[in-house]
Amino acid sequence: MWVFLLPSLAVFLLYRILPLAWNGVLSVQQFSPFAPAQWLGLDHYREMADDAVFWRSLVNTLWFMASAPVGIVLALAISLMVNTGIRGRDVYRTIVFLSYPLMTVAVGIIWRWMYDEKVGLFNFILRSLHLIDTPLAFLQSFELALPSVLLANVWQILGFYMIILLAGLQTIPQNLYEAAAIDGAGPWRQFRRITLPLLRPSLFLAFVIGIMTSFTSFDLVYVMTQGGPSHRSELLITYIYKAAFELSRIDYAAALTVVQFVLLVTLTWLGNRLAGGDAGSVEAG
Amino acid sequence: MTTKRTARAWKHASLHLAMVAVSFCMLLPFYWVLKTSLTGENIFVYPPSVVPVHPHPFYYVDVWYYIPFPRYLLNSVVVSALSIAANVVFNALAAYALTRHFRGRGAIITVLLSCMMIPFQTTIVPAYLITAKLGLLNSYLGLALPTFSTIVCIFVYKASFEAVPRSLIDAARIDGLSELAIIRRIMLPLATSAVATNVVLSFIWSWNNFLWPLIIVRDPLMQTLPLGLSRFLSYHENTTGALYAFCIMVLAPGILLFLMAQKEFIRGLTSGATKG
Amino acid sequence: MTRSMLLRAVRHRFVAVPLAIAVAVAAWNVYVAAHDDGIVRGEVVGPDGRPVAGATVTMMEQNFTTNSDRGKTLTRDDGSFEFTDNRSHNIQLRAEKPGVGRSDRVVVRLYFQAQNVTLHEPLRIKAGS
Repeated sequence: MWVFLLPSLAVFLLYRILPLAWNGVLSVQQFSPFAPAQWLGLDHYREMADDAVFWRSLVNTLWFMASAPVGIVLALAISLMVNTGIRGRDVYRTIVFLSYPLMTVAVGIIWRWMYDEKVGLFNFILRSLHLIDTPLAFLQSFELALPSVLLANVWQILGFYMIILLAGLQTIPQNLYEAAAIDGAGPWRQFRRITLPLLRPSLFLAFVIGIMTSFTSFDLVYVMTQGGPSHRSELLITYIYKAAFELSRIDYAAALTVVQFVLLVTLTWLGNRLAGGDAGSVEAG
Repeated sequence: MTTKRTARAWKHASLHLAMVAVSFCMLLPFYWVLKTSLTGENIFVYPPSVVPVHPHPFYYVDVWYYIPFPRYLLNSVVVSALSIAANVVFNALAAYALTRHFRGRGAIITVLLSCMMIPFQTTIVPAYLITAKLGLLNSYLGLALPTFSTIVCIFVYKASFEAVPRSLIDAARIDGLSELAIIRRIMLPLATSAVATNVVLSFIWSWNNFLWPLIIVRDPLMQTLPLGLSRFLSYHENTTGALYAFCIMVLAPGILLFLMAQKEFIRGLTSGATKG
Repeated sequence: MTRSMLLRAVRHRFVAVPLAIAVAVAAWNVYVAAHDDGIVRGEVVGPDGRPVAGATVTMMEQNFTTNSDRGKTLTRDDGSFEFTDNRSHNIQLRAEKPGVGRSDRVVVRLYFQAQNVTLHEPLRIKAGS
């Protein structure tokens, strides 16, 4: 039986477990491809504590996480609408979910162009409605760069949240609503007392996925803003990539990864506990 | 009676209106990029027109010949094919092993579940070093290797396999079939939906994968489609409709596959989410 | 597999769709192979609308950023010309005759490289140098 498990286990060992351990080792070393590694102790972590870019990217990652509830609320609203059994619900469901399986690089390019200062769709709409006079440079502005990326992310992941919430909604028995209606409870009351509590596992699952997305959304940021302007939209994952492969500081990048992983595990564990047990996690490829 | 029906009609009408608005927001980017890929306007011109003016398909021809699009397409297809093939085999084997009881089964399951917590993005630095040590940089195998097995799909198979009646398996064993033959002749044919889910999910993940090719591909001819697309963007920026034609050509397989295999896709995502 | 099982398998969407795509791709490739001799035919007319013989027609190949000459030919007595070695899908043509004038650059975009094409509109030489 072990023989059957070997191929899969070998892949996971090589590309999940071993890297995890090696990250820890690298983070306390002075790594060089030419010379043997030297023991450095916690120097990289000390450097990280003083690194303004690190703190900026950490804050941005937390902002990213904070946008997850926004997406989840929107997805919940859409799921409730789709779940009412109106005609064409399958079509609506397909349309909303369509954005998720797409190549994020292409999505990033499309949104980057829609945000364009001179010819972008958003500036066109805002100016046509006379809401602004001069065009906004969304992706080059200090305040708007990160929210712009977050909006694109919500657009893409909305469908995924919707699928999870729909699956959860469909497990709620109809007769609960009927009984409540007989007892005179209005729709809002029914929502608060029946839907929300029974949806708790799905909601927290969606939130856990939102947390993971904020640690893994490299493609979108890379294509749309490259982390700019001035690291205003830099995420932990893009900073790790830059440190390792543009600045050639593999050891520092490993230390950053350790911090990222610890943060991820802590937050996901917290999310699971708040959901009341094992909500599971999704391997997002 | 009539008021109840009109009330319900109003409710349905407003729901439809809201959903149409939502659909409009979700589809607008697609329409906009499709329009520009066909007309090339709205790259320099402001204000843009809402309906395509003088559409022509020649940007798509440009993409096919000027960029080495066929080469990138080939690379992506090869990597995805490798990934899918390995996925189906490895995951099915592992899942079958997990349906049998043996010492250490629980430990293995715990290990697999905790591996789910390690996203690919936290492994990029050592994974690069490992791939370099294996001499697989810039190669199809190196590109596909980290995606050869996925835990979500193992559990999807496991659930499917556990639904096969024991009597069938026992009868086969009495007939002298080897374990491998049992998987091939009995389990897999009865688990076609799990196989379809696995194929669809691993295709989408390997097709859309951007970070890993970005890290290990050095030769421009070995680039996969996402990488080629982003390189094209950095060379040509916003100067040609061919960029958007490139986007559409790259999105088309994903959309087509999704429309064909929606059920499998959704099943894979939700069952993985609930740990199968 | 029995015949009816085979038919049922083919009608399933996972088989029918890729099969349809493969057939379409094969048919397209056959069409391309039959029509890719690189022949470009056209006609040159003067400012008065009459055909111009002996005009020089230049064919240029267009890239994203560059433009390079690919060939020249002369028009025949009836004003028509023909190139037989076009290998690109995006070319520009220009006609000129000393003493009469030159035409604008005409962009010709094709569906595939070396597609045989006959221009719908003639190249008009405009008066002046």
